[in-house]
Amino acid sequence: MSETTLTKQKTRRGFGFYLRIYKKILVQDLKSKMSYRADFVISTFGMIMTNLSGFVTFLILFKNFPSINGWDYYHMLFLYGFSLVALTPVQCFFDNNWNLRFQVQSGDFIKYCFRPINVFFYFMSEVFDVKGLGQFAFGIGTLVYAWIHIGIPVTPLVIAKLVLFLLTASLFMIAIMNAAAATCFWIVGSGYVMVIMFRFKDFAKYPSNIFHGVFRILFTFVIPIAFVAYYPSLAILETDNIPVLTWCAPAIGVLFFYLSYKFWMLGVSRYDFTGS
Amino acid sequence: MNLRRHIALTRAGIMESLQYRLGTAVTLFANLIYLVLVYFLWRAIYDSAGTDVVNGMTFTDTMIYLILATALFNFLEMFVVWDMSRSIQSGKIILDLLKPMKFRSYTFWSYSGSHVVLFTLTFIPTFIVVMIVTHGAIPMGINLLYFVVATVLALIVNFSMEMIVATICLYTESTWGINIVKETIVLLLSGASIPLAFFPETFRKIVGFLPFRAVYDIPLTILLEKNGSDTLEGLLPMFGLQLAWCIILTVTGVLFWNHSVRKITVNGG
Repeated sequence: MSETTLTKQKTRRGFGFYLRIYKKILVQDLKSKMSYRADFVISTFGMIMTNLSGFVTFLILFKNFPSINGWDYYHMLFLYGFSLVALTPVQCFFDNNWNLRFQVQSGDFIKYCFRPINVFFYFMSEVFDVKGLGQFAFGIGTLVYAWIHIGIPVTPLVIAKLVLFLLTASLFMIAIMNAAAATCFWIVGSGYVMVIMFRFKDFAKYPSNIFHGVFRILFTFVIPIAFVAYYPSLAILETDNIPVLTWCAPAIGVLFFYLSYKFWMLGVSRYDFTGS
Repeated sequence: MNLRRHIALTRAGIMESLQYRLGTAVTLFANLIYLVLVYFLWRAIYDSAGTDVVNGMTFTDTMIYLILATALFNFLEMFVVWDMSRSIQSGKIILDLLKPMKFRSYTFWSYSGSHVVLFTLTFIPTFIVVMIVTHGAIPMGINLLYFVVATVLALIVNFSMEMIVATICLYTESTWGINIVKETIVLLLSGASIPLAFFPETFRKIVGFLPFRAVYDIPLTILLEKNGSDTLEGLLPMFGLQLAWCIILTVTGVLFWNHSVRKITVNGG
């Protein structure tokens, strides 16, 4: 009997239920963050500094070189802005991945396993990273600036495409970071895996047709940074001969996200309690 | 002298960093892949440029510069800021402050072990690979000795900057924010992400006086014998700049630390 009620309960817990919970946890998190206001200001400033330095890098590069692989200044800026916006969800909603290894090691992680809601959801909902919004604003600004200079027409269809492909692109980085964080269930002190992946993301802002051979395959299908900006943005930048991979990107993105989620949950299922 | 104490700390650091062998191996491997990415990017950039020499830098020069900058970065990277904030939170810092040694030199010498390991495991292999691949584009001679001296000075400048930033963290409780600001500024203005030779003229002149250049640009310039560093007249200003910043930053750091350490509040401990 209990089993049937359980499954019934589970089916009733739809999207609305989780949204309500998320809001509650989010408010708690923001409240605790408000007590460190200086930290918030400095972190946001730091975030904008990193984006600004990326921008300055571009300026210096294009002072010396007119184009990179047929991509001129404004197209590159478009790609940069696109990548910044696409990286916002992973920064804002999935930032708790960085704490996973500490929680797993100290044994605090067990508290997530005792709640009657999805472990992955509960863990991620605990932290909302506000400073990601600074990056979002910077990204949108860059994107609009490049957009105007390239002269892409603004139609409802193009906007819809932009939103769809931005969401698609964001799935890939989320998947990469989920998988990288989940390695800590198997390897003690695996923080370096996340650090490495986070460094690779710096190359998302370049057109990935500059890579050749094995590395092109590696960075398209294994560590999919080519999908963080390059392929999705072609849907807007190109008018004809859009590569097949661009059209497949949404499906591949969902697949990658699903796989990373499964991998993460597999880690949870073999998580041993520390006993304390 | 208490040299024995210092050596003991170095040895402990070496042993500690050799503990995490898997991490070191994976990081080394990932660095190789990262360097391949850098290679592809600059190959594409130079191919699109149409000329072989841009601002006095050939493709090979740029590659050697950037690869060795990455290797230097891995070797010089310190986590003083993170370690300090963690030990303030846990209260461990009290034990470090009570040690019969100045906190500053204790921190410096505890890190020296991992510097030794990383220099041997990351910088030297990278250097050898670059030498083989480029068929001796790196001049071999007295510049190697100068390079070692410059690297030691770079290490001291870098450590001093880290200590000053870590001291700021005593006030703000914002480790991530302060650290990312420092890292961004250092990486951009030291020439680690784009060689300083590509910077616009006025910008480069200003950056030339800042301490960040002393960390990456000066050792690499000396190693590659660029900008007249193969003559004594070219070499002396570079060493002078490094030495000047060593002194300025160390004095500032010590004064700042002595002033701030009284303000530390530790819960429990």
